[in-house]
Amino acid sequence: MGLLSIIRKIKKKEKEMRILMVGLDNSGKTTIVLRINGEDTSVISPTLGFNIKTISYQKYTLNIWDVGGQRTIRSYWRNYFEQTDGLIWVVDSSDVRRLDDCKMELDNLLKEERLSGASLLILANKQDIQGALTPKEIAEVLNLDSMDRTRHWKIVGCSAYTGDGLLDGFDWLVQDIASRIYVLD
Amino acid sequence: MEEEQYQTKQTPITNETLDSITQSKHEAMLSRLSNLHQSRLLQQSLTRNSSDSNSSFESTKSFLTNFSESKTSIESQLHLCRNPDSSKPTLKSDLNNISTSITDLERFVAENSYFLPSYEVRASLKTISDLKETLEIANSELLPKKKFSFKNKSVVKKEMSNAEPVVRVCDSVVAEKHSVQVRDSLGFRNEEGVVLVKHFGGAKEGDFTLSDLNGCEVRITGCFRALYIHRLKDCRVFVGPVLGSILIEEVEGCLFVLASHQIRIHHAKGTDFYLRVRSRPIVEDCNGVRFAPYVLDYEGIERDLKESSLDEETGNWENVDDFKWLRAVQSPNWSILPEEERVSGVNISSSEALSIDC
Repeated sequence: MGLLSIIRKIKKKEKEMRILMVGLDNSGKTTIVLRINGEDTSVISPTLGFNIKTISYQKYTLNIWDVGGQRTIRSYWRNYFEQTDGLIWVVDSSDVRRLDDCKMELDNLLKEERLSGASLLILANKQDIQGALTPKEIAEVLNLDSMDRTRHWKIVGCSAYTGDGLLDGFDWLVQDIASRIYVLD
Repeated sequence: MEEEQYQTKQTPITNETLDSITQSKHEAMLSRLSNLHQSRLLQQSLTRNSSDSNSSFESTKSFLTNFSESKTSIESQLHLCRNPDSSKPTLKSDLNNISTSITDLERFVAENSYFLPSYEVRASLKTISDLKETLEIANSELLPKKKFSFKNKSVVKKEMSNAEPVVRVCDSVVAEKHSVQVRDSLGFRNEEGVVLVKHFGGAKEGDFTLSDLNGCEVRITGCFRALYIHRLKDCRVFVGPVLGSILIEEVEGCLFVLASHQIRIHHAKGTDFYLRVRSRPIVEDCNGVRFAPYVLDYEGIERDLKESSLDEETGNWENVDDFKWLRAVQSPNWSILPEEERVSGVNISSSEALSIDC
């Protein structure tokens, strides 16, 4: 029995992924997490602190850390960097004015050594709003092409409101992490 | 390693003292493992058929041979790039190719890691990270870093095509600050001392921006998706239901009447907010802001509120979270507007005159 339960534990552990979800306030992080988990998104207060959501995705268990994006609490993001397999950066595609802020915060994040191995998914959210910038335009403003070549990244347009694009993004992220994780022991 | 696990698990099955439940569990586990093993063998034979030299044979020796071949080839490529005689134009794509080969090699290790001795896996991973480091150094030495900079773009003003019976039509202004040209959203910008009127007719239109207004009065009727407010001074702003969120930054001495699903208020000073909101409104870096319930009225507002699921008074207008005051006692930065100081109703049905009942 002892051996079996140990093996089961290892098997279970292998399939867990830790995903950190950050971005400026008002970008729709919490709505994305609730939408992908099939929960009610009609009443969501701005996140004071963080939410953790464990969801089964394909054959993996995702631990999603959704951390609030208000300026005051951005300095606490670093407390969540450790052991991160996947990083999701959420952008409000209709908030043109704050794209500079958005770029600056993302650049700071990518300098972080503890996140250097993490796959990066950029979600260009709110694509359903008329006049929102396209993922291509967002990629240009954020200058994603100049990113460190060893970084695995992808930008996907999505709408947490309709649910469009979310699965595309998460599929890529989960596959990319899965292909990187080695069975060492 | 897979083989070892497989055998270890066969031993308890032969033990007759095990009860039937445990035994069936063991059998299930065993069959699962054997299925896994079979599928792996199958996949291996497939890859063996499809590609010849690079396929894994579940042999450490052939893995090591392949690995060291790739490693040598990457190293020699890197060496070529460092050679000053190498032609400049292809340098960038060469380095890119090397990066791809390293990624391929990494995947190769990953695919074979399950049968390799852990020492070999670790050694291979170390080699890969060394290669990556060398590539990074080569990159930074050989390629000049591109610097991100903002360039000034000329401001293009454009009249809005569907001119409504408005006091001033809204502008569409191209953003100035980005090096990449991005269009700006609809909105009222850079006005002083005027009345600005906008009506959203269609179902759930896009976003709208109010920025750099001084001493203005803004009336927006109908439903739309998102509202961005930036740098307003001494303004009065009356807005119909917003289906998504409202973001407010840097306002002073204003009065806002707003309905939305989410409301965030940053850097507001001496401003009153009359809100209908489904979630808890938040303030950050504010002082002297006061809150009261929504009081707006115009022809058809009931229908608009219902369409946006904002017809119900949730009472959240007073459940304000202050990000600069994370304590149980009331924040000194905001307060509830005393009833005797509130306006009791605002009707913006006619665009000519505004009636405020006090």
